Amino acid sequence: MFRHILLPTDGSSLSEAAIQEGVRFAKSLGAKVTGLCVAPLQHPFFCDAEIPAEALEQAAQRWKDQSEAYLAVIEKAARQAGVACDVVYERNDHPYEAVIRVAEQKGCDLIMMASHGRRGVRALLIGSETQKVLTHSKIPVLVYR
Amino acid sequence: MFTHILLPTDGSSLSKTAVQKGIQFAKTVKAKITGLCVIPEWGFSIYESEVPGKFKDEAAAERKAKAEGYLSALSKAAKEVGVPCDVVLETSDQPYEAIINTATKKGCDLIMMASHGRKGVGALLLGSETQKVLTHSKIPVLVYR
Repeated sequence: MFRHILLPTDGSSLSEAAIQEGVRFAKSLGAKVTGLCVAPLQHPFFCDAEIPAEALEQAAQRWKDQSEAYLAVIEKAARQAGVACDVVYERNDHPYEAVIRVAEQKGCDLIMMASHGRRGVRALLIGSETQKVLTHSKIPVLVYR
Repeated sequence: MFTHILLPTDGSSLSKTAVQKGIQFAKTVKAKITGLCVIPEWGFSIYESEVPGKFKDEAAAERKAKAEGYLSALSKAAKEVGVPCDVVLETSDQPYEAIINTATKKGCDLIMMASHGRKGVGALLLGSETQKVLTHSKIPVLVYR
């Protein structure tokens, strides 16, 4: 019923658990997956004008390397399970936007993501980006806990 | 991967679509389903005491009959495609609680529900009960839009 599942990850351990389940789920349905990792554009503490270009480049490279490492986790899991997989790396200060756009672009029919990511606050709330994906997505979202 | 899916419904058209998809999904993954409809305890708010008893009873009976209608439609649809199905009717002012309790009691491993129900407010927000189920559920929730 679902043929192409988007698996966003931010490298957090809950994200990793959701990935493993996502790959397993895709396998059971004969679906393929697209892994997605979204890194922020803005430097966390200062506005761009204050920072030398070199430092910005280094930061960008670090984000890219880290994201690619998280995406490699998805690729590995998919390969081991025999699930067709591709990965996307995006930079966006609003991860939920990238999640929804990539899902649409790739023709995914399900987004499967963790209830929370890096920022935690587990007991009380649902994670902020998951919340926003849920609010704005036009395709079904499976929230993994 | 999912063996027992809970399908809450409130009779709204979005709910009905989610139920249809839920049954289709259950068929695909060979799961069984439990349909659930939660009716509110009190149909009225602060003017409760002003309402004549007979009228209250009639309203309660009407709500129950409607809920039973939604559940028998669900049952029928499941039977038509050969998906094992049972139904539960609960009364509660906190539908999300009844949803989670029923899922737990029945040993469901997935809750599949619509993003919004009767109360609408489609474009902006996630429905209030879906929101609460997501926040408090310990099992995965598939939000259908």
